[in-house]
Amino acid sequence: MARIFWVTCPKCNKRFYCHSEELLHKKIDLLCPYCGIYFPQEQSPKIQE
Amino acid sequence: MQTIAKMEQVQAKAFSLRSYLETLESLYPEEIVRVSKTVRPAEYEVTAILKHLEDRSRFPVVFFENPLNLKGKPSPVPLVSNLYATRERCALALGTDPADCQLGLSLEYARRVEEPVPPVAIQRSEAPVKEVVKTGDEVDLAEYPIVRHHEMDPAPYVNMTPVMKDPDGGFYNSAFLRNMYKGPRKLGIHMSPRHNWQIHRKYEERGRPTPTAIIVSHHPAFYLGCLNVAPFGLDDYAVIGGIMGQPLRLTPSETLGEEFLVPADADFIIEGFVVPKAREVEAPFGEFTGYYGPQRLRPVIEVTAVTHRKDAIFQHTFVGHRDNWVMGGLPKEGAVYNVIRGVIPTVKSVHFALSGSCRFNCYISIDKKVEGEPKQAALAALGAVDFIKNVIVVDSDINVYNEQEVMFAVATRVQADRDIEFIKNVKGNTLDPSQLDDITTTKMLVDATRPVNRAFPERVRVPQEVLDRLRLEDYIPAKKLEKLPVFSDSVRSV
Repeated sequence: MARIFWVTCPKCNKRFYCHSEELLHKKIDLLCPYCGIYFPQEQSPKIQE
Repeated sequence: MQTIAKMEQVQAKAFSLRSYLETLESLYPEEIVRVSKTVRPAEYEVTAILKHLEDRSRFPVVFFENPLNLKGKPSPVPLVSNLYATRERCALALGTDPADCQLGLSLEYARRVEEPVPPVAIQRSEAPVKEVVKTGDEVDLAEYPIVRHHEMDPAPYVNMTPVMKDPDGGFYNSAFLRNMYKGPRKLGIHMSPRHNWQIHRKYEERGRPTPTAIIVSHHPAFYLGCLNVAPFGLDDYAVIGGIMGQPLRLTPSETLGEEFLVPADADFIIEGFVVPKAREVEAPFGEFTGYYGPQRLRPVIEVTAVTHRKDAIFQHTFVGHRDNWVMGGLPKEGAVYNVIRGVIPTVKSVHFALSGSCRFNCYISIDKKVEGEPKQAALAALGAVDFIKNVIVVDSDINVYNEQEVMFAVATRVQADRDIEFIKNVKGNTLDPSQLDDITTTKMLVDATRPVNRAFPERVRVPQEVLDRLRLEDYIPAKKLEKLPVFSDSVRSV
């Protein structure tokens, strides 16, 4: 599997992970799989690479 | 005899999901449970029931008679799960004897792959899958019982087989691919760099949408046929016909007519186009590896039509669990066996173990005659199927379907510095969490056979003649024997 980064949803505070090469530091809104909101990753309270 | 006669009766008819379920229910009623209570597939209730059963080591087909759809209302179609969770049921799907469901089944599958049966086309008016046709704005995927499988899945997923047609060769290819529900007429699609991905890439390079039809429900032999490892370029509809033992009946699609044919005896089909150059976030999704694949940018499908039988049944596989594992390994075993047999005629068996999701761990037994044969066998297997990551070769006294025995051979016949080889930077699988990049992996070859060039100790055994002479029931009453606890770790079968 490619490198991943964990991201925390700014709304529900739950964590999920994304494909680093395709999504890390990209201007693409992420989808929280738990609460269903799309958000820019800069709004995440914590990103763990 | 009754079983064979009934199976022949069924095979005389066109294969369909209901023909399989009728056969299963009449011959092996204990293999299927019907759940009449309402369930919410989009809220993990279907997979929760399957997981409860799994935790009790029970793997029946589960027929959910009253699932709700994505709007929380009664679905117009029921849902069936777990069809492929046992090799016996896969054997029944192919019309072979469920009692011979190990190497015999794998070799029969491989034999059929070599004998494709060309499909036949029939009129739309004769096709059961056209009994209900919805196109354009009439389509609303939220009306159906699409399953949300695991906690981190962002949405319900259709996880059966999109079919695509090569724009150059004109052949069809089918593959199990995940499709994320994104809206009433929109799905996300994940493709690993394999055959459908190749076809999609060709269309995309030409700026054209890729036509696709997701075959949501059909006879299990259809789906086992989809899992063939035949070379890219062979028409999967013909290979599937070979696996089914009868020509696959096709009919024009609603979207492209005779330019794109779809299986006429399917229960449920979703038609659409993969949009060129479009990418949206998709996943995480609980995958066959038992881990979530990460969220990433994936293509999207614009759905153009849904067609189904009036009394259609919706189907899914319990991905990341036995239902999804057994079906993935079985179609590869015979192909690998035949390739090895070309170089090691004394190969005895090949098995893709559950522990490796029936993809990554391949166990091979041989009747070794000279040193070097185990690694030759392992190399042949790695060349035959790219999913394989770890190969363990054992002697023929080891049952490759019993992982405990395989590990016994590793424990007692392997010196790591002498018997294990690594091959770095080989194409792997994008979903293997241990890989550090998308593509490459390290393959491991383990020679767990006894040496033939030096004396080696013998395994313990109680004399066979005494075992044959002595009946346990003569010493311990049968009723007492029945009540003795069985420890699962003593008979773990893989």
